[in-house]
Amino acid sequence: MTLAYAGESMARRFRVWTFGALMAGCVAAVSLGIAPQAQSPAPREAINQYCVACHNTTLKTAGLTLDAANLDKAGENPAVWEKVVRKLRGRMMPPPGRPRPDETTYNNVIASLEKSLDAAAAANPNPGRTETFRRLNRSEYQNAIRDLLALDVDVTSMLPKDDASYGFDNVGVGGLSTTLLERYLAAAQKISRLAVGTPAHSTGVSVVTLPVDLTQEDHLEGLPLGTRGGTVVRYDFPLDGQYEFQVRLMRNRNENVEGLSEPHQMELSLDGAQLGVFTITPNRNASGGYYADEAVDRDLKVRIPVRSGPHAISATFIRKTSALQESERQPYDAHFNMDRHPRIQPAVYSISIGGPFDATGAGDLPSRKRIFVCNPLTPSNAAAEDRCARTILSTLARRAYRRPVTDEDLRVPLKFYKDARAEGNFDDGVEMALRAILTSPEFLFRVERDPANARPGQSYRISDLELASRLSFFLWSSIPDDELLNLATQGKLHEPAVQEQQVRRMMADSRSKSLVTDFAGQWLYLRNLAAVVPDARLFPDFDDNLRQAMRRETELFFENIVREDRSVIELLGADYTFLNERLARHYGIPNVYGSNFRKVTLGPDSVRGGLLGQASILTVTSYANRTSPVLRGKWVLENILGTPPPPPPGNVPPLGENPAVGRALTMRERMVQHRANPACSGCHQLMDPIGLSVENFDAVGRWRTRGEGDERVDATGALPSGVAFEGAAGLKKALLAHPESFATTVTEKLLTFAVGRGTDYYDAPAVRAITREARNTDYRFSSLILGVIKSAPFQMRRSQ
Amino acid sequence: MIIKKLALPRRTFLRGMGVTMALPLLDAMFPALTPMAAAAANPTKRLGFVYIPMGMNPVEWTPQVEGKITSLSPSLASLQPFLDQITVLTNTELKDMAYPTGNHAASNAIFLSAVRPKRTEGSDYELATTVDQIAAKQLGKETAIPSLELGTDLIAQTGNCDNGLACAYQNNLAWSSPTTPLPTEADPRVVFERLFGDGGTAQDRRSELRKNQSILDWVTKDMARLQKQVGASDRARVNEYVETVREVERRIQKAEQQTTGARLPDLERPSNVPDDWEEHVKLMFDLQVLAFQADITRVITFQMAREASTRTYPQIGINEAHHPISHHANLPDRLMRLAKINAYHVSLFAYLVGRLKATPDGDGTLLDHTTYLLGSGMGNPNVHDHTNLPAVLAGGRNGGRHLKWAEPIPLANVHLSLLEKMGIHQAKFGDSTGVIEALL
Repeated sequence: MTLAYAGESMARRFRVWTFGALMAGCVAAVSLGIAPQAQSPAPREAINQYCVACHNTTLKTAGLTLDAANLDKAGENPAVWEKVVRKLRGRMMPPPGRPRPDETTYNNVIASLEKSLDAAAAANPNPGRTETFRRLNRSEYQNAIRDLLALDVDVTSMLPKDDASYGFDNVGVGGLSTTLLERYLAAAQKISRLAVGTPAHSTGVSVVTLPVDLTQEDHLEGLPLGTRGGTVVRYDFPLDGQYEFQVRLMRNRNENVEGLSEPHQMELSLDGAQLGVFTITPNRNASGGYYADEAVDRDLKVRIPVRSGPHAISATFIRKTSALQESERQPYDAHFNMDRHPRIQPAVYSISIGGPFDATGAGDLPSRKRIFVCNPLTPSNAAAEDRCARTILSTLARRAYRRPVTDEDLRVPLKFYKDARAEGNFDDGVEMALRAILTSPEFLFRVERDPANARPGQSYRISDLELASRLSFFLWSSIPDDELLNLATQGKLHEPAVQEQQVRRMMADSRSKSLVTDFAGQWLYLRNLAAVVPDARLFPDFDDNLRQAMRRETELFFENIVREDRSVIELLGADYTFLNERLARHYGIPNVYGSNFRKVTLGPDSVRGGLLGQASILTVTSYANRTSPVLRGKWVLENILGTPPPPPPGNVPPLGENPAVGRALTMRERMVQHRANPACSGCHQLMDPIGLSVENFDAVGRWRTRGEGDERVDATGALPSGVAFEGAAGLKKALLAHPESFATTVTEKLLTFAVGRGTDYYDAPAVRAITREARNTDYRFSSLILGVIKSAPFQMRRSQ
Repeated sequence: MIIKKLALPRRTFLRGMGVTMALPLLDAMFPALTPMAAAAANPTKRLGFVYIPMGMNPVEWTPQVEGKITSLSPSLASLQPFLDQITVLTNTELKDMAYPTGNHAASNAIFLSAVRPKRTEGSDYELATTVDQIAAKQLGKETAIPSLELGTDLIAQTGNCDNGLACAYQNNLAWSSPTTPLPTEADPRVVFERLFGDGGTAQDRRSELRKNQSILDWVTKDMARLQKQVGASDRARVNEYVETVREVERRIQKAEQQTTGARLPDLERPSNVPDDWEEHVKLMFDLQVLAFQADITRVITFQMAREASTRTYPQIGINEAHHPISHHANLPDRLMRLAKINAYHVSLFAYLVGRLKATPDGDGTLLDHTTYLLGSGMGNPNVHDHTNLPAVLAGGRNGGRHLKWAEPIPLANVHLSLLEKMGIHQAKFGDSTGVIEALL
């Protein structure tokens, strides 16, 4: 959890370091030595014995004066004591090298403090305050459009990216810049037009470009068997009409089509039905060399009538047996780089979709079915039209605003409808009103209001409608559906039985996929994978296929825990994973063939079970050309142990010249050098030993026994608690020995994502309660989800 | 999702035509926007900032001679053709603004603000109105878009950005208020659409603008309703929203005025982001030149790469990530590689300068009437300091100089001088101690 630190005052942060000199004195005091006692001391004695030598009224190390604090009334000062609990739970205090209590004493002190803290919290819960205004972030906006209008739009091209806070981009989204507002206006225009099916001012072209480092020598998932390479594009066609598809092939920097040494056949299909097969023939000059073969893919196009709505267009090559044999001789799986491991066969670069030409109408758009819940029977009957418009707009506004709508809410949208209707037709009127609704702050912002009669600082239960939105944005990253809104309107949603039934329904719904893409994607840093480009010379086998496979493995793995409602501890210790052939080869796991992912049971000696053996995680915590024990250690501290390292000191002096050892230093030696500086050792002694223990995984997650300097990997490691172990397997075992600590971290991350704010000390009792309760079900995913939803921070809010 | 006909001539975006390619076409395109006679008498002033991350290698960067110079240093050599419009500034600093940690985020944040960012990883971030935005509030009154904020990094980093500082500090250079970072846009197509709209005839466009006006009018009223329902401190937030709405309304009015009478050009939109980073950077520079030329905006910030970037540059033989190289530990080999990256970034900036010089404007060229500051908020990346910053001015007619101070001066003095040059009189900016006469 990051907030315990972020919540600290600036002064306190500095004190940690500026009191370095005093701490040196403190070391001397402690090193006088206090022998462990035979019997476990009482909590007060233990604190006097192990903590007060530094944290006293004279030294105030880290701003803590534990000698003066009343231990029996710990609950009265939760900000301080929750911090102490966290340090003790992580066994981060007393610091390494100082006398430490035995495990029983640790547990006694923690239990005593927690008891007092939990009792105080139960008597006077502080649910925290989620911000009053929270803008829909980009994925929420996209999902809301999908659920409101049955329209899939790619909002990444319409809205700017969101900045993340506390690890999630649904936190800290209160601001509204002019740029954002301009984009919302433009997006509303575009989306309302697409949804209603209004012809555009002119025909257009959409181009879908494939990643340049996508290897296309083999079958790709989602394409027909017997094909290789290419892609399938899902596209929402705005109108019935003629559309033109054109395929371009990958070219190298000399503008030649890559891999074209003999004729190849390409197939173009719409929804699986073949539109045409094209033969692509090499274009050579008199001397046998290729030259800029402009003409080779000029005619890879087809123009056909398409009905409006979503369709799948695919362009792929018909597989050749001879080429397959040829590629088997190649040392690498990756083929995209002209100089090192070139394409053996041609590849698709882009598909463009042009049109509509000669549009004949909006047709059966799913979005029209969703919007036009009624139809004015006779176009000339103005009264019937108005009635229908009102029905349409009140249905849309209710879902968009996530609450029942009043006449006042409809007044202006109806006026927009009427004005535009007067200048055009019924559809134009609805489109304009929809455009206005999509720009309304009631749609763009989630607003939680204090009850009119709330006293300042009062904890109150949020309304059923606010609860409906909290549920849907947590579990679906989207707006509530009619069932949730109905229950909320009836005032039933807060009833525990109703709520639990709804949560289970929502979890079973495909929309809960957002827990994988938005929650896990950010918690585990999976989203960063798209930006990872390892050094092509050192990792010639890395291509987009591998990048996608890495991401898919972790997504499927997490999704499996969600769907099968398994213990979250399996995220660390599972004896299975999800692989396709490409990733299995990367891991050196035999007998997995083809591009499809499937569940694979791992042998008892496998290094791959659990997140820490997954290439996705190992790669996003590495640099382009080497591993980073620091990044990996920090990742584990933050995301697995929930104890992010203390901030580094100021003005770090340069590491200085490398000593003349006549060779490059090994990673471990470099880290040791790093830690020799007392200013650095504070955090590095926590991070480095963890990161170094997984040095057997290289920068793209392959197993290795020798490091980057060809030295034998020394993977001894240790946790902040001082527990030493050997290698990745040892790390896993050490982490699994304290499942509650990992479960706590997952709970904190879920709670942050669920309430859209960083968690703080006052959330700690709720987190403990959730985790404790979940232990009865062996930390099943649903028990954490339900625990978070039932908790005070989720159900309640503190007034201003 | 559907792309309409409006588009720049494709060749405008074709690389390889280099600095010699003039765009006479565009002069014809915007007759109403750039009245030549008026421009000659009182040229339009424009201001741009280009950010390079993680400082530089000063040995290769700093010219050896001070004052009037005839040749540039190795890192700056690509600017040699434009030397008479180049001023190198040596020994500027951003003093006491960073924290012991989070120096990458801070470097980006302090570059244009010259204040200490509030230390937080949450949404309660606070900086200052940045120099470009102070300029935009003045210069932007005349244009449809007050300022453009551009970058090249499409994927927002998730997870924590830099220790103790929110991602907003690292991602965004420009802040229109102490609490409003302006999002950086990296998709050329999106930028293009902001500049040149969505398509259709001028009449269609005007009609769209009017519709947006009436929607915003309603949004303002809706906000007022919201305001009554929330507590005191949330009311301040709603006030911010209302300000935002007003500002966008004003822009739309401006755009509407400009649409009237101006013949909409037949331009081809760039359809996607180039795969090649260098192409991408150059395309973003092309768009800046177009935006200035068409007088759609007069203030631009451009983050060429993000702080702590781990981008590699195999195209110039740098296969190791920029960030670890920047921790050069004073090793000659790494220092040389850092200088190589510096020189590469400068060469891309030189592409922009060349384009500006090749574009006629009023009685001279765009470069004559534009001032760009190229620089970084970090000096020596090895120790994360913020002194002896890289800083180069391009534009105007008073160049060919290397200004060097014996003791570090605040970078804010440069900012204050640039504001003065734009006709914006301000007593102080950030930690400034006064204007630099030589820059006025």
